[in-house]
Amino acid sequence: MASAVALLGASLLMVLLWMVFFWVPTEAVQGVIQRIFYVHVPAAWVSFMAFGIVALCGVMYLWLKDDRFDRLAVSAAEGGMVFTTIVLLTGPLWGKIAWGTYWTWEPRLTLTLLLWFIYLGYFMVRNATENPERGKRFAAVVGIVGALDIPLIHVSVLWFRSLHPQPVVLNAEGPALDADMGITIGMGVLAFTVFFFGVMMLRYQLECARARAELLEAR
Amino acid sequence: MNARSLARMASVLLLTLAVATPVLGQATELGRQTLGRPYWHFFAAYAIVVVMLAGWIVSIGRRLKVVERRLPELDG
Repeated sequence: MASAVALLGASLLMVLLWMVFFWVPTEAVQGVIQRIFYVHVPAAWVSFMAFGIVALCGVMYLWLKDDRFDRLAVSAAEGGMVFTTIVLLTGPLWGKIAWGTYWTWEPRLTLTLLLWFIYLGYFMVRNATENPERGKRFAAVVGIVGALDIPLIHVSVLWFRSLHPQPVVLNAEGPALDADMGITIGMGVLAFTVFFFGVMMLRYQLECARARAELLEAR
Repeated sequence: MNARSLARMASVLLLTLAVATPVLGQATELGRQTLGRPYWHFFAAYAIVVVMLAGWIVSIGRRLKVVERRLPELDG
């Protein structure tokens, strides 16, 4: 099941690549560099969703003490790290052409980097304690607190004087982009989401196998 | 290829350069943008995405294989 979903996600990613390279029109002002948008925005969406799942599973783990929530949380957190890294690497490549610099300490970029470090801390905290149950509890708390950064990242371009572009899809007046570009970004969000869930399920299987191995070792 | 065709090719090349050089000089920032660097950044961005996603799957597959190899030993 997990492999089938991951494979479906990979197929959708192929369709996305075809659309980006051969189908979608070139943006009039920014030129070809604007096409980075079709992976940068879906990656940001998936990373927010992944860390949202981490926070939700963290709450459930602290409440019910069910290890399945912890396994799901760590699987989602790893995916979140992968997709946040994509966001943090593709954004500066666009920024170098659009702004003339790879990096600037403006609110959205800084808060996104902070998010990456918070969830790096999530993995460090998990492995920092001698008692694994304690590590899981600490990690759940970090996962919940870290997710508070997500709404801040979203509103940072509205609240602060920011260099980062304003939202073009999720804004009050509705999506402000060409229909073909809207279809392509929609395809990007769908492909990245399906791929994330497929691979997250594979990662969950790995956590289950590890838990079983630890149980057999303890016997 | 004889000397005559070589001379013809050279004259076409010179004519193209003579026409293209002043045109490139007049190009706007946006026009110049399409001449290389943005393409490098664009392809680098997509290469990063492919490498990161493929790397994630391969890493999970390897770790899963290690654990699955250990499980029968522990079971036995």
